[in-house]
Amino acid sequence: MSARNPGMNLDLEWVSKVRVNTQAVLKRAQQIQACKLPKKQWQAAWLLKAVTCIDLTTLAGDDTPSNVHRLCLKATQPVQYDLLKSMDMHNKGVTTGAVCVYPSRVADAAKSLKAANSCLPIASVATGFPAGQTPLKTRLEEVRMAVEDGATEIDIVINRKLALTGQWQAMYDEIRQFREACGDAHMKTILAIGELGTFTNVYKASLVSMMAGSDFIKTSTGKESVNATYPVAIVMVRAIRDYFLRTGHKVGFKPAGGIRTAKESLVWLTLMKEELGDEWLSPHLFRLGASSLLADIERQIFYYVTGQYAAYHDLPMA
Amino acid sequence: MAGSTTKTVHDIFQSMEYGPTSSSTVTAQAWLDHHSRALGLFIDGKLVLPAGRQTCALADSKGGSVCSTVCATEDDVSQCVSSAVGGFKAWSGLSCHQRAKVLLRWVSVLGQHGQCVSEVCEVCQAPCSPSSLVRLAQYYASWAQLRDTLITDWTPLGVVAVVVSDDCSLYSLMLKVLPALAMGNSVVVLPGLSTTPPALLLAQLFTEAGLPAGALNILSGGAVSLGAKVAQNSNINYVTYSGNKQDGGMLCKATAGMGVPVSLSPCIGATCPFIIFESADIDSAVDGVIEAAFKKKKEIQWVLCVQESVCDSVVTRLRLRMTGMKCVALPSDGDRALVEAAVHEAQQQGATLIQPCAAPTSGSQYPPTVLCGMAPSSPCVVSPPPGPLLPLMSFRSNTEGVTLGNHSPHGQAASIWTEDLTLALEAAKSLSVGSVWVNSHSISDPSLPVSGHKDSGTCTDGGQEGLYQFLHPSSSSPALSRSSPASLDYAKFGPAAPPAVIPDGSHPASAPKSFLQFVGGKPCKSESGCSVAVQAPGGAGVLAYCPDGGRKDVRNAVEAAIKVQPGWMKKSPTARAQSLYSLAKGLEAKRRDMASSISAQTGLSLEEADKEVELSIARLSDWAARCDKAQGGAPPVPQSGSALSLPEALGVVGVVLPDNKPLLSMVTLLGATIAMGNAIVMVPSQKYPLPALAFIQVLQSSDLPGGLVNIISGSRDQLTVALANHNVIKAIWYWGSAEGCQYLQYTCTSPQKTLWLHCQEKEEGKEREATGWTQPHPSLLEEMWRNAIQWKSVWIPTA
Repeated sequence: MSARNPGMNLDLEWVSKVRVNTQAVLKRAQQIQACKLPKKQWQAAWLLKAVTCIDLTTLAGDDTPSNVHRLCLKATQPVQYDLLKSMDMHNKGVTTGAVCVYPSRVADAAKSLKAANSCLPIASVATGFPAGQTPLKTRLEEVRMAVEDGATEIDIVINRKLALTGQWQAMYDEIRQFREACGDAHMKTILAIGELGTFTNVYKASLVSMMAGSDFIKTSTGKESVNATYPVAIVMVRAIRDYFLRTGHKVGFKPAGGIRTAKESLVWLTLMKEELGDEWLSPHLFRLGASSLLADIERQIFYYVTGQYAAYHDLPMA
Repeated sequence: MAGSTTKTVHDIFQSMEYGPTSSSTVTAQAWLDHHSRALGLFIDGKLVLPAGRQTCALADSKGGSVCSTVCATEDDVSQCVSSAVGGFKAWSGLSCHQRAKVLLRWVSVLGQHGQCVSEVCEVCQAPCSPSSLVRLAQYYASWAQLRDTLITDWTPLGVVAVVVSDDCSLYSLMLKVLPALAMGNSVVVLPGLSTTPPALLLAQLFTEAGLPAGALNILSGGAVSLGAKVAQNSNINYVTYSGNKQDGGMLCKATAGMGVPVSLSPCIGATCPFIIFESADIDSAVDGVIEAAFKKKKEIQWVLCVQESVCDSVVTRLRLRMTGMKCVALPSDGDRALVEAAVHEAQQQGATLIQPCAAPTSGSQYPPTVLCGMAPSSPCVVSPPPGPLLPLMSFRSNTEGVTLGNHSPHGQAASIWTEDLTLALEAAKSLSVGSVWVNSHSISDPSLPVSGHKDSGTCTDGGQEGLYQFLHPSSSSPALSRSSPASLDYAKFGPAAPPAVIPDGSHPASAPKSFLQFVGGKPCKSESGCSVAVQAPGGAGVLAYCPDGGRKDVRNAVEAAIKVQPGWMKKSPTARAQSLYSLAKGLEAKRRDMASSISAQTGLSLEEADKEVELSIARLSDWAARCDKAQGGAPPVPQSGSALSLPEALGVVGVVLPDNKPLLSMVTLLGATIAMGNAIVMVPSQKYPLPALAFIQVLQSSDLPGGLVNIISGSRDQLTVALANHNVIKAIWYWGSAEGCQYLQYTCTSPQKTLWLHCQEKEEGKEREATGWTQPHPSLLEEMWRNAIQWKSVWIPTA
């Protein structure tokens, strides 16, 4: 991964000056959605890029070593070999960005990936995912244990209570502690935007998370009623841009929750390209949190290569 | 598409570039081919291609030929206008419901052929989305349906000519055509070169929708010169223009004296401020700037004004957001030199540039460029060059931001960015422009009336208010009568040495009285010190002397007027009403004096004169009561958020008063203007000036602010010239000679003044005109106050 974000002291003056005009953001989101999407080989290439940015995720109560194992192997070979070969992309290292599991399954994932000779990053959600309503002590312990088990990326959730009541200092301190607990593991901070109320709050929470040293900021856990939407993403990437302009540090962005179709993944890439530029079109700075998205992308690539629409069973399951 | 085969998936995977964008124009090409790529005129409900005419070639964005269009000749004009006369009979003879049905059918036909319309627009480089046309048509269909219900006592004008310049958009063109049709007029359209094919296509769709033949006609080839030829035809009742200001001015000059009213909506090329306050959502504002300022076909020349405290932040974001932007094609090849000269000049004055890439060494492409560090005096702000250039200026306080935005002869629109509601509304109120966009830009909807303020137009478009340009009160005939322009030496019009006044040694008792004029709230002599004699009725010698006012008196009066007018407009309508009531009371107190003055001046019996005074008192009370009745509102708009429609005073109005009913007509016009918040400079009838001058004592005893009402007597023509040549005066209402009308039409083009002209030379019309003052139909008074205001729309989009 690229240089990490060291964070900075909390600048409350900066946070207090944040202003977001909701309708202007919505309008910008419409404009981006109205952009013409790439076609033909452009589409295929963009979709493969999207694949490399996926955090292939399973976060269910019934996860066991066997489905985690399947997930890991799918992550290392996300698109059928012959399809890649026909595009001359088979030897270009197309894997997903990472796999993403619960802390208790990190060890299983590490075992599967090691067996498959892959150094694919393992991401783990932590800190009382998804609600964050557990004591700070156990949340910190959770992070440490996941890292110990082999997670190289930790998706933490912020304490919504602190954000909603404007206790930015307390939130900053908490995230700082998580960051320390992460050690060398990269930290992605989940803002749970569906529960933050306003765009202004989302912007402020993004800034505070970045000041506290997040390497990525992530929209949602996928468990709230509102997940990754384009307008909210625009607010967050603007905060990333703002932070970059002030500090020179590049922070990544991860939309998650409800991203299911290949077309949506293309819009997400367009949004990143338009708002932050080409540099943010790589797994170092952009991830898509998804589970069923990959299947749809693979079908689209199947169509591009063969000219036929695949049935779901035509392609290997995750 | 050679590139598409060479780029491999891996290449693109690495570069993550956008693919080629190409949109199909198959339908448009098929339509053009069907007409053999030679388009003609639209007369009598069908496309006709007269032989042996000159043609113009229309090129697409890559220089390829699209089609040729015919240049109409005078024969075509007369054939077209007579078709329009027939079309008017058929169209105005239909019921409101039938007309509405035709417009609604056009909407569905447009829906069917939306693809063709948008492709033809694209090919011709006259971009216009069919959905915006649908909205226009639906809106005006509802007005067609409700005309007789909601706008009683008004009738359509007849044949209306819609003239647009080459750079005018199809939307602006249809914003004139559809309301004209909806009110029952027939229309002759003179589109620009690039709007000709789409306009012809839309006309074809009208035929499919069942519009009677002749109700809509199209003449192509040289809009402005052809416009004058069309206006010359005596069957044309009104000419309305949309487009750039230069062509509009030329059209006014070319049609002066023809006796046809001309109004302008110069929607193209106005300089408008884009104001970013420190309380703005800067990222959104910068997105707005980028979207608005660097379009290939931009109708507005934006000037970016940024509050000093956030200037760096805006500049940094602009720089970042503009990286990777592509060069923009200039309007024409010759513009390259202009753009380069402007940039060079700005750099010499210390401007720094923000450009995504260096300008290509030659060719008609130029990168989007922000010129930072400009000032209002910079040449590129004063007269903006074409192309994707955006000057940036900074300001200190909120108030200064508004002042900076207002300090321009243009009054078309402004975009302001702030999250502070109070500041937004205050700024919106203070900006003298037709449209204010809060945290947005370039939104429009036909339901909002918009007038160009200052030098940006003489016409209100949109809303119910915008319909009145296509109607006249049923009870009156048109104020101008058709004539051919007299050969007038405009430079010499006006000044004439009055006959010298010499002492004639008459008896002190019978010596004619000397009157004073009224400037800045004080009775005074004219600047020249000269007087003119006022003849007694029947030519029985000198009745009195009145000041011989001139240019300097008008200047003094306007200076006094513009000082008090903003305060007067800010007063609550109730306070204005009270002042007018007290004026009426004051007139009542001087009833006898006024009656004897009228009687002495006009030779009427005292009894009749008293009646005129009584009517005048009632009329003033009428206007007082109306002060708080002209109100805007918040019309429902399809966009989310609120839009406000606000009536505003014009500013200073110059009125050259009629001879008829000298007191009554004066208080009627005076009441209309000041009730709506204007200041007024009046020139009393040259023939009967005394009642107006006697009225000064009433004004003096009133509580109207000094300078709000000014009365300057003297030679009508000389004072008309003085009014016409004062740029502060926004409107002139004129009762006088045909030459005077012609002079004003010719002269009041830069800056544009709203003219309301009446030729009072027709003797036979006298009787009717007199009853027009004594028992005016309500629609006449309505027309009067509608002429005394302009409209502003304020857009406040919200989620």
